[in-house]
Amino acid sequence: MHAALVAVIAPLFGAFFCVFSGWAGGKREHWIALTALALSATAALDALLRVLKGGPQTYLLGNWPAPFGIAYTLDPLACALVFLIAAGALLNLWGARREIAHRYPEKDHTFYALYLLAAAGHMGMVVTGDVFNFYVLIEITALSCYALISMGSERSELASLNYLLLGAAGASLYLLGVGFLYIKTGTLNLPDMAAILPAMATAPAVGAALALILLGVAVKMGLFPFHGWLPGAYGEAPAVAAGLVAPMTTKVMAYVLVRFQVSLFPPEFLRAAPALPQIMVWLSVAAILLGAVMALYQKNLRRMLCFIVLAEVGYMAGGLFLGNRDALTGTVLHIYADLAMTLCVFMAAANIERRRGSLAFEKLRGLFGTMPWTMAGLTAGALSMIGVPPFCGFFSKWYLIKGGMAAGHWPFVAALVLSSLVNVLLFFRVFEIAFFEKDERPGLVAGDVSAARLVPLAAVALSLPLLGLATGQIVERVVVPLLAPLT
Amino acid sequence: MDFAPLLGKANFWAYFFIMLTGLYGMAVKRNLVKKIIGLGIFQTAIMLFYVSIGSKEGATIPILTAADAAGRGGIDAAAYINPLPHVLMLTAIVVSVATLGVALALTLRLWRRYGTLEEDEILARLRGDPGGEACTPRS
Repeated sequence: MHAALVAVIAPLFGAFFCVFSGWAGGKREHWIALTALALSATAALDALLRVLKGGPQTYLLGNWPAPFGIAYTLDPLACALVFLIAAGALLNLWGARREIAHRYPEKDHTFYALYLLAAAGHMGMVVTGDVFNFYVLIEITALSCYALISMGSERSELASLNYLLLGAAGASLYLLGVGFLYIKTGTLNLPDMAAILPAMATAPAVGAALALILLGVAVKMGLFPFHGWLPGAYGEAPAVAAGLVAPMTTKVMAYVLVRFQVSLFPPEFLRAAPALPQIMVWLSVAAILLGAVMALYQKNLRRMLCFIVLAEVGYMAGGLFLGNRDALTGTVLHIYADLAMTLCVFMAAANIERRRGSLAFEKLRGLFGTMPWTMAGLTAGALSMIGVPPFCGFFSKWYLIKGGMAAGHWPFVAALVLSSLVNVLLFFRVFEIAFFEKDERPGLVAGDVSAARLVPLAAVALSLPLLGLATGQIVERVVVPLLAPLT
Repeated sequence: MDFAPLLGKANFWAYFFIMLTGLYGMAVKRNLVKKIIGLGIFQTAIMLFYVSIGSKEGATIPILTAADAAGRGGIDAAAYINPLPHVLMLTAIVVSVATLGVALALTLRLWRRYGTLEEDEILARLRGDPGGEACTPRS
């Protein structure tokens, strides 16, 4: 299974090549980055097909035996997410060559290097089965994201610094939790730890460790009330970088929570602290409601999307802690679905920003006339976020609502439905401006963006109904094996 | 919950106090550099915690030697302090230095754009002047 390693290593080395190429005065960074990401996506697809056929595997880095060396845990859940991240990063970067060369004439190689580092970090977080290695990858990802975000608008430096202060504190809390777990278990390997922990599930140190880890990941994920950094950081980031970090980071963190919830948290621990899942579900309800309400107040498309992302974080965290099979299935499906649809709307928004210079609502007038293809992509993403079948957003939300009903947690169900209705309102307000109002300003660039930007957007938009139609397959081949030990 | 074992561990209480000092700096101070210093203190507390969990009473540094005739030396895990947390913290120190570097670079850019490092003043300018162009940039 070297494929899994190649998937992570290719962008990592690509980042260094980009820097070297920049030093040598080359102009090939874009192609280096695309090659690295394409290699990574191919390798991830290969790994995915292998685990689908042969079942979950463990890859030992450098062939060091498991509790001592770092092991990658490869199952369909992880490999599919790695593939989506690699493919998403590739498609998002595909048509951005001119934009990056234009915005950062002397620094484009740094942009590409940071972009690749962030992509590699996200993929590494997904596959690693070592809790300390995970911390290092969190920080690799986060540091490259801070730098990427600060390359955006005039306000981006302050937003990035706020993100850094909160993010570094969150990662440190995670590290502290890992320290507690290490004291108790003497191992850093996730499966090893999971085997040892049930024997000491009710020890106060284990409870404190899991609470600290949960807190750290929640900060990184932007879950209410630790969401303060998210709208600023993703709203002010450069359009291309926002298309990478906004879909990926929150979803990878949600994936990590799923992983810890399924394999690390002993059921005895959750039984000993019944208040914890309850608190998490209520925080998720608050996140969904806050995201929906704040999105209504925004007067900028990207800011609006950021608050929708915030609500989606609530969907995933809530489903995770409702504590039944349907809700967990919904969370896993929503990780994939939300990654694809957030990517879709952010890519469409980047195209609009490229043409119109800004995403303020008054700049969106007449877009359906001038940029029909981009708007078709945005519409697909919007329909999925609202939850219209057969788009993937519908199916994940369906499972989440079913899980909420099964758990009898009506506020969560109500928040989900309300947030879907608010999404209808939000997107149709955008469409109304873009469809009915005409823009008569002189000197406006007519026509849609180039095919290099439209083809990737079309691919992402098409993946939304395809992912939706594949729901049965995903549940059967990814979710069922994952939840099998939890019966 | 039984907290009695914690009371005897003065080192943990010291790290806890240092950590809270750092958190206080990050949460309460309005100056960006002071916030970054707070973050540094916070991270250092966690590093100290890790370093201390590796140590043992009466143990020595973990350098393997050949066993002598009496069987002393060689691989005798009980005689060595645990090197793993120390190695982990080497990585964590590198991470924290990199974080500090990025934070200072961002602070420098903010200083050049706004001429101040007080968060309140920067926010006031952002509110009054969304574009930020009218601020006096310093170079």
